[in-house]
Amino acid sequence: MYRETGLVNSTPPSAQDDAALLALVQRGDEYAMASLFDRYSKVVYSVALRVLRDPSSAEDVLQEVFMQIWRNPDGFVATRGSLGGWLAVVARNRSIDALRRKRPTEQVDDMALASNYNLADEAERNSLMEKARGVIHLLPFEQRKTLEMAFFDGLTHSEIAEMTGDPLGTVKTRIRSALSSLRKAFTV
Amino acid sequence: MSEERRITSEDLALFAMQLLSEKETAEVAAYLRESAEARKELAEIQGDLATYALTADMQAPPPQTRDRLMRQVAREKKAIPIDRPVVPEARAAEPGAAVGTGSMVADTTARGDEALNEGQRSVLGLGSGDYLSENDQPKRGVAGRVLSWVGWAVAAGLAVATGDLYHVRETLRGTLAAQASQIDHLTADEAAARQVLDTMTDTSAMRVTLTTKGQTAPLPTGRATYVASKGTLIFLASNLAPLQPAKTYELWLIPAGEGQNPIPAGTFRPDQHGNASVIMPPLPKGIEAKAFGVTVEDEGGSLTPTQPIILAGE
Repeated sequence: MYRETGLVNSTPPSAQDDAALLALVQRGDEYAMASLFDRYSKVVYSVALRVLRDPSSAEDVLQEVFMQIWRNPDGFVATRGSLGGWLAVVARNRSIDALRRKRPTEQVDDMALASNYNLADEAERNSLMEKARGVIHLLPFEQRKTLEMAFFDGLTHSEIAEMTGDPLGTVKTRIRSALSSLRKAFTV
Repeated sequence: MSEERRITSEDLALFAMQLLSEKETAEVAAYLRESAEARKELAEIQGDLATYALTADMQAPPPQTRDRLMRQVAREKKAIPIDRPVVPEARAAEPGAAVGTGSMVADTTARGDEALNEGQRSVLGLGSGDYLSENDQPKRGVAGRVLSWVGWAVAAGLAVATGDLYHVRETLRGTLAAQASQIDHLTADEAAARQVLDTMTDTSAMRVTLTTKGQTAPLPTGRATYVASKGTLIFLASNLAPLQPAKTYELWLIPAGEGQNPIPAGTFRPDQHGNASVIMPPLPKGIEAKAFGVTVEDEGGSLTPTQPIILAGE
């Protein structure tokens, strides 16, 4: 019915899991490093760009975060949870540091992260993103805005309280409530 | 838990986002060291934040960022440790315990260790000759001296060659890594393209032609999507009439230039529902099309269209 398409029938190679790639990176395997970059660079760059709103600065953060993995792959261990999630948080923290022009805070990066999602899988990652956006969209405006100001703009609760005129306690509660709603939506 | 009144989960959320003052951060960090429950809660909050981070609009980084990273990675190659037997210093210093270099140290020790300072001792070794007295120096002829230099020259040459080989190996390794990753990309692209193609050409796929409600049976239609610069063409047809045996439909590309003959762009037969497609027929690149047409030809197709033209579109 139709002529030769020229497409070759092949099966994509099975993806190595993050732990295996990190072990290879530990041994100096540049290919494994490239694979991790291909897997997670979009997440890291997008988070950095959202915070910094400047492509050039976001590229610097992207470079810095992945070089951190190359120099110290032990910095992330499997017990800390999802590598993709950890990278997203580290990208945000590094970007906030860049905004504030301060040295990176290792203390917070060093924490465990509870996440059951396999962000290495693109389909699962996309599904998670869509669901998270949906949940956030349904939050009360004040909660959504306050969390956004804290997380993506890096404003402290005092700064947010000053800008919005809300009491400090209210700001803290809104941030916590927004995160609780997000967690609840994913545990139901 | 008395501490809970002071450090709340709200504080932990601010701590996770690095929004506390230095003093508050130190307080929370101290509390976390003591409380496993708080550490667990913080991990949950970090998980929530990771999920929230993904709500950012996803944008792929510019392609050059990958090259930039891989160049930096190549510059900071990791030194792979090589296992070497270690001679304990204490053993080397034991009188009579050593052979080779150890015995030399023993000898010099016997002659008076104090006479040698640390710097002198550190340069003693096989081949240096420094551990021999003047009278013990071997007498060498011209040939002996030349031969000893030949040995060094060979060693130097080998070192240079080894360095070159290492450099070549690392370059190849870098190229391999880049190519392997590129293959990953292409494979993913190919998988996506194949999925699109499979959907379009799957004979079991449901195909529906939407018309204005109440309209009579839809007429035969064809839709050609053509990119002249690439010579790529996708043609989808629906509601085609069944063909006589030994007959086939043939798609024609009518070139835009004057006096150019129609170019055959593939033969096809509709399925039982009247649907058919021609996907990526072999066409020359750069031919601007004025129109497309479909004719009925003998099985195997024709080099020139036979009238009448069943479907035509510009």
